[in-house]
Amino acid sequence: METAINKRKVAIICSHGGLDEVYPALILGNAARQSGIDAFVFFTFWGLDAITTSKVDHLHVNLAGNAASGMPTILGGLPGMETLAASMMKKQMTELDLPTVKEMLQILDESGAELYACELAMKMFKRTREDLLPQVKDVITAGDFYDLAEGAQIIFT
Amino acid sequence: MDTTDTNKAIAQVLARLDAIDARLDQIVDRQKKSDELFSEMTPILRDVMGTATTRLDELDKKGYFAFGREALGIADRVITGFAPEDVRQLGDAVVGILQTVRALTQPNVLEIASQASEVLEKSDQAEPLGLLGMVRATRDDDVQKGMAVMMDVMRHVGRAARAVRDEHRPSAADEKKAKLAGVLGPRKKKALGVERQLPPSVAPRAVAPANLGPPPACAVPSSKPREVAAVIDGVAFGADGHLVDPKVWTEEIAVKVAAVQGVELDEARWAVVRFARADFVATNASPNIRRITQGTSLATKDLYTLFPKAPARTIARIAGIPKPAGCI
Repeated sequence: METAINKRKVAIICSHGGLDEVYPALILGNAARQSGIDAFVFFTFWGLDAITTSKVDHLHVNLAGNAASGMPTILGGLPGMETLAASMMKKQMTELDLPTVKEMLQILDESGAELYACELAMKMFKRTREDLLPQVKDVITAGDFYDLAEGAQIIFT
Repeated sequence: MDTTDTNKAIAQVLARLDAIDARLDQIVDRQKKSDELFSEMTPILRDVMGTATTRLDELDKKGYFAFGREALGIADRVITGFAPEDVRQLGDAVVGILQTVRALTQPNVLEIASQASEVLEKSDQAEPLGLLGMVRATRDDDVQKGMAVMMDVMRHVGRAARAVRDEHRPSAADEKKAKLAGVLGPRKKKALGVERQLPPSVAPRAVAPANLGPPPACAVPSSKPREVAAVIDGVAFGADGHLVDPKVWTEEIAVKVAAVQGVELDEARWAVVRFARADFVATNASPNIRRITQGTSLATKDLYTLFPKAPARTIARIAGIPKPAGCI
């Protein structure tokens, strides 16, 4: 049984930058490491916000077009609504003792999960290595991603 | 001396006298002219003086002298308020100031300013404007134009501010000095997340579970009755490799389970296992990694070093408690 677990590996792609869209990727990655599964997370497009130093603490919840938010889309589009929803969600998370995105990334890094940024997205958003958190291991291309993900289960969030 | 010499001398004297006489005539003539001039000038001068006095009186009445006195006061204040260095800088800037003033005093600029100030004068009659009113106002072409102008002004102010900031940037020499000080001086504390914890050679400091507070709501233990999958040496294990009944746990069982997990129990690992056991007894829930790090003041990385594969689960198996619930 142990050998089967040893061989398991997951590659998680985080492509969205909403607070509710980043957490699943991080929690899955952390849970994988806690279960003894090798894991790495590939941040691309808006997911880059989660590993960008200036943005990681200001991720919002996307309300417009989110049927599950329980709020009419027309209200969700009002200015300030996303900030409000994000702060409410953060409060809930504090009650559950959930670490912040930044802490989650740190825990992931310490637990041995590797964090990668997408090179193309970096160019698109005009970001450099210096804009990213120190936990990010490397900036890689989609081809590198497949090399790393050999034998891994790929999860797209 | 003969008579011819005497005659010559007399003739010379007479000639000189003639010259003196001519001079005298000239002087008398000039004196006469001066007298005439005076007699002619006196009435004119009197007139001029009269007019000047009246004019000065008028000026005084209009307040020119009071203005001058005040102006002198201003000059005095300016001189006491400014150092010569300021004045030198002002001299450098004077061309710029004059250009600005010239640009500001162009007739069309003055026209705009005067109209704007007229609006300000009537500001007490202005109606309060809400958010919607503001949105409505932006549909007005003139307001749009005004906004464009204001935006442009703001853009230029911002650009100028940036230029000023860049000017105040530390020079290359200062930067080098700072870098050198950074190398030679005491090491700065690194940002959170960069700093690596020391390898866990020191035994972790155990915290009493009571000080930690209740476990997070997501770590509620399962209440399902546990099934026995295997009985080894008289001890029942579940299908997930955890003890079925935590109460039968002994330190001997812990050592055996640890050996199966590929972990040798040294003092540091024992401390972690004991904390997990104590926390389970106190809260009836197995601690997850986050709780163990908080309870033992070990870093997440250290836990993964001590128990490389699935730390929380391995610890729970060794401590004879159920598999930890929760995601974090």
